[in-house]
Amino acid sequence: MSLLEANNLSVIYEPRGAEPTYAVKNASFSLERGEFVGLVGESGSGKSTLGFAVTRLAKAPARISQGTILFDGRDIASMDEEELRKQRQGGFAMVLQSGMNALNPVRSIRKHFGDIFAAHDHVPKSKRLARAYELVEKVELPRDVLDRFPGELSGGMRQRVSIALALSLEPQLMVFDEPTTALDVLVQHAVMGTIRELQKSENFTALLISHDLGVVLESTSRVMVMSEGVIVEDGTSEQILHDPQHEYTQMLLGHYADPRAEVVEVPGLLVRGSTISLTGHDTVLGVVSPADGDPVTAAPSAPATPVRRRAGRPDAAAIVVDDVSKVYPRPRRGSDPVTAVDHVSFTLEPGQSMALVGASGSGKSTLAKLITGVERPTSGTIHFGEARVDRLRRTGLRDLRREVQMVFQDPYSALNPLHTVEYALMRPVLNYTDLRGAAARTRVLELLDTVGLTPVEQFAAKLPHQLSGGQRQRVVIARALACDPQVIIADEPVSMLDVSLRAGVLALLDGLRVTFGVSMLYITHDLLSARLVTDQIMVLNQGRVVESGQTAQVLRFPQDPYTMQLLEAIPQPQRAGAGR
Amino acid sequence: MTAVVNLPEPTGSTPPHQTAGGADPAVPKPHGPASPLRVLSRGASTIWSNKKARIGVVLLLAFVALAIFAPLIAPYGASENGFGRNQSPSGSHWFGTTAAGEDVLSQVIFGARISVLVGFIAGFLSTLIAVVVGLSWGYIRGPLAEIINFIVNLVLVIPGLPLMIVIAAYLQNGGMTMIIFVVVLTGWAYGARVLRSQTQSIRGRDFITAAQFAGDGATRIVFHEILPNMTSLITGSFFGAATSAILAESGLSFLGIGDTTTVSWGSMLFWASNSNALLTGQWVLLFAPGLCIALIATSLTLINFGVDGLSNPRLREGTGR
Repeated sequence: MSLLEANNLSVIYEPRGAEPTYAVKNASFSLERGEFVGLVGESGSGKSTLGFAVTRLAKAPARISQGTILFDGRDIASMDEEELRKQRQGGFAMVLQSGMNALNPVRSIRKHFGDIFAAHDHVPKSKRLARAYELVEKVELPRDVLDRFPGELSGGMRQRVSIALALSLEPQLMVFDEPTTALDVLVQHAVMGTIRELQKSENFTALLISHDLGVVLESTSRVMVMSEGVIVEDGTSEQILHDPQHEYTQMLLGHYADPRAEVVEVPGLLVRGSTISLTGHDTVLGVVSPADGDPVTAAPSAPATPVRRRAGRPDAAAIVVDDVSKVYPRPRRGSDPVTAVDHVSFTLEPGQSMALVGASGSGKSTLAKLITGVERPTSGTIHFGEARVDRLRRTGLRDLRREVQMVFQDPYSALNPLHTVEYALMRPVLNYTDLRGAAARTRVLELLDTVGLTPVEQFAAKLPHQLSGGQRQRVVIARALACDPQVIIADEPVSMLDVSLRAGVLALLDGLRVTFGVSMLYITHDLLSARLVTDQIMVLNQGRVVESGQTAQVLRFPQDPYTMQLLEAIPQPQRAGAGR
Repeated sequence: MTAVVNLPEPTGSTPPHQTAGGADPAVPKPHGPASPLRVLSRGASTIWSNKKARIGVVLLLAFVALAIFAPLIAPYGASENGFGRNQSPSGSHWFGTTAAGEDVLSQVIFGARISVLVGFIAGFLSTLIAVVVGLSWGYIRGPLAEIINFIVNLVLVIPGLPLMIVIAAYLQNGGMTMIIFVVVLTGWAYGARVLRSQTQSIRGRDFITAAQFAGDGATRIVFHEILPNMTSLITGSFFGAATSAILAESGLSFLGIGDTTTVSWGSMLFWASNSNALLTGQWVLLFAPGLCIALIATSLTLINFGVDGLSNPRLREGTGR
């Protein structure tokens, strides 16, 4: 008998004053004992709702509208609260995406364990401490973690603690809902490793919910793919990897590529090849035209695009960063001041595209703030043409921002929820150009057209919440283009977007850079996208540049151990297949 | 012009759509979905959907109607004093008469005018000051913010009622204007502090940085980007300020500060206590205006329950289990 069997399960959301929507439609599946199963889908596909439903954590306005969930032969869909609470010991447990925020900040980790033991009384009092030690060691944490408070632990450590807490109930089924998504790349890799080992040693049944097919394929033996509330494919990992049946699965797989490969290809984007010799001398980066004649490649696509002349505007200038450091005052008494950027020097030539990569805390976003004049460096100078960026005052900053614009990481917070797209785009047009009235509005529509949001009239009138994430990011890019800048600083522009939307936004940025001749500083932790849209790369580790050079060169033949570590941490479906 | 609905998300690989001939200057104004009227009606329906707030709205409307139509509803004039003194409730005087021979019911009805007027004017003015001070204070950094901080703290730590009494005693013979002035002067600081902390949290959001990059100035950012995001908080602080203004007015009038010949609920209590109404058995004289003050303050507080739902959908009733 299967451990968990869902039959014809539907979950409906019934918010007040809005149409009810089905998040999960007629899902039927079963989990065998000791199986590690993945559940993959993009945001809004209903995968988390399904995870919440099978652990009976779904809250109003969500409701299981039909179907049964048999756990160990008992139907849990109709269980009452108290029965359910008891069931959680030795039954099913869940680790949440924001598990690191699920800990009570004013209680020590020891008390968290104590609470659970007391609630279920399944461990005799005398053995509780020993059990707690055992659990934290299982998730590879030192014993003294028990005496610390959640605020003293890093995100990865806190997520490990919540896994240990879930384990303390000796569950037969563990549901991991995006357990590593909120974590840094390197930490993510390590935590996934721990989860895999635990599953093997403890032999619980695990359901791993993730948007990242790569992560799932690396860990699980069977994968279910969900799209718009329906499980569209259910097969072993090998099947999914080598012979995906549903076009949605094929699409998801298509967006994985190895940045170390000689030629990197992702649908909808330019194909980037390289003719780099193994010695690394006389390197030439070429852009190979794809076979299917992608329309974007019709644009002039030489990396060294001649810089366009703009009437009445200063000539293109380089951003020169010279020996810049930024030290933040110590965050609290007793700790050391934080050096976010440590003696960094580089030049961003007009028309060039450079990637700035590193794990979180490597100082890449701080560098962006310094270049845009949002923050001032502690030492060193930043020049943009004639101007000293680190000494600019109000009007100087305004002039700078006319030339240096920014694309933000989170399209959901970069647009004021109460203003229409037209308003958002109109502001820079009115502030930086002489266009007024109808001419300004024409310019706004033109911008929408440039970023591919057509019909423009309709999109101009929309509010941010009526747009998808990818569409919002296009609006953000259009706003950055409004004043016809020379430099665009893109701070993780696709990290919040679904895989299927990423390629579109990246292609847009890349195409704009080529057609308009703007230079781009592309900040990311995602080496694959860096490989796809940049020519130059700089790898930052704790504020220091550890490696720099041509993107293809650096990624194919990394010299620094940190770069290798970053490359190693990228989930690789292919690697998973090979390793089994 | 053909309108295509539900166009799929354009991918970057599609070539940019070519506009025929480039510019079309005669493009029609878009009828945006965010017209202020619609926002307002949606807000109103949210408040109405809350049971407590609905009771509050009905109560408040009743008092406002009472105030507006006082001359039509009241059986006698407010200061008409030709009746017998200290009469008990009867057919011709439902609530009895005062020591000066005035009809109590008519005074209660006319008294609503002062309370509603003071409540709304003083509430509005102190909210206005709170918004201007709170938002600018939350947005700026540096020494000026420290100075504002000092002033606001000063107003906050001095106990309200004594301060009012001192100011009111200083500005003698001001009547209602003076009372409104005093209430506003002492009432804006709390709202300013609340709005400031919310401004500080919104200030850190990306769309504010984006507005700076778009070249918007500080004033524009504060009043066009931040302010609209705080509508519910401002509405809430208005009802809060109106409640305390009504209570402060009653308190000051009861203490005999201001013009005691104006008929308001506070001054009715003042005269009732002067003539030892409770000792002469005229409890209605104390009870009626007291209850009215309590009811109108309650109605505003109840409305605020609904206002909470504007900003936080989780507080809307019926969504939880």
